[in-house]
Amino acid sequence: MSLIDTPELTLLSRFLDLATVRQSVLVGNIANVDTPGYRTQDLSNFGGQFEIALAQDSDLPVFPMVRPVSGLLSRPDGNNVSADREGLLLAELQLKYQAATQALKSEFALVQYAIKEGS
Amino acid sequence: MNLFGMFQISGSALRAERERAELAASNLANAETTRTVEGGPYRRQDIVFASRPSLPSGFAITLASFTDLHAQGVQVAGVVQDNAPPARRFDPGHPDADATGYVDFPNINPVEESVNLMEAARSYQFNVSAVQATKAMIQSAIGIAQS
Repeated sequence: MSLIDTPELTLLSRFLDLATVRQSVLVGNIANVDTPGYRTQDLSNFGGQFEIALAQDSDLPVFPMVRPVSGLLSRPDGNNVSADREGLLLAELQLKYQAATQALKSEFALVQYAIKEGS
Repeated sequence: MNLFGMFQISGSALRAERERAELAASNLANAETTRTVEGGPYRRQDIVFASRPSLPSGFAITLASFTDLHAQGVQVAGVVQDNAPPARRFDPGHPDADATGYVDFPNINPVEESVNLMEAARSYQFNVSAVQATKAMIQSAIGIAQS
C-alpha cells in the first residue's frame, strides 16, 4: 500500500474491469436479438464476483463466470433476449461506469494535490 | 474482451441486420418478377442468423473460452430459398403465360416482407445504441487520463 496504490483505486479499477466484461456480454446479447435459439447471458452474481475480484492479486485479470440467465420468456424460435432488459442494463451500466471513472479521477486529483504539496 | 472488441460484436450484428433488410427489400422489389436466370418466377429468400463466439486472443482468453460461455457476435449462416409453390394468376395476355393462360408469379406476401424490414430496422437501431453506449464508456475511460 502506498500513496498511489490505495484500496480505493484497486476497488475502482476492479469495478471497471468487471463492468467491461459485463458490457461485452450485454452487447453480445443485443447483437443476437434475432438469432434463433440464442439464450441471454449475464455475469452470475455480480456482487459476489466483485468480492472475488477484490480479494485476488490485483495484477491478475478478472475472469468472471458468464452464465445463461434463467426466468426469461422464450420466443417460439428459442431466443429469449429481452430488448427492455438489455436496454435498461446497458443504460444502468453506462452510468455506473461513468460514476466509477469520475471517482477514479477525483482519487487521482487527491494524489496530484499531495504531490504539489497542497498548492 | 476489451472495450474496443465490443465494436466488432455490434458491428457483426449491424452487418447481419443490414443483409436481412436487403433481402426483404429484394423480395419486395421482385414481387412481380416472372423471369430469373434459374428460370421460372423469382423465389422468396430468407436469411438465417447464427451466433459466433468472439475470436480469442492470448492464452488466458482461450482458456476462459473453454471454461465459460462468452460474448458472441452474430453471423449470417446462409440464405435459404422459400420453396412455396408460385402463385398462379390467370392472365392470357402475359408473355409468360402457359397453355392454359395461367402465369406463375412469385409467392410474396408484402405484409410479411414489410414486417421483416421493420424488424430489421429496429434491431439495427438497437445495435447502434449499443455502439453508442460502448463509445461513451471508452470516452469516459479516456477521460481518466485527462484532468
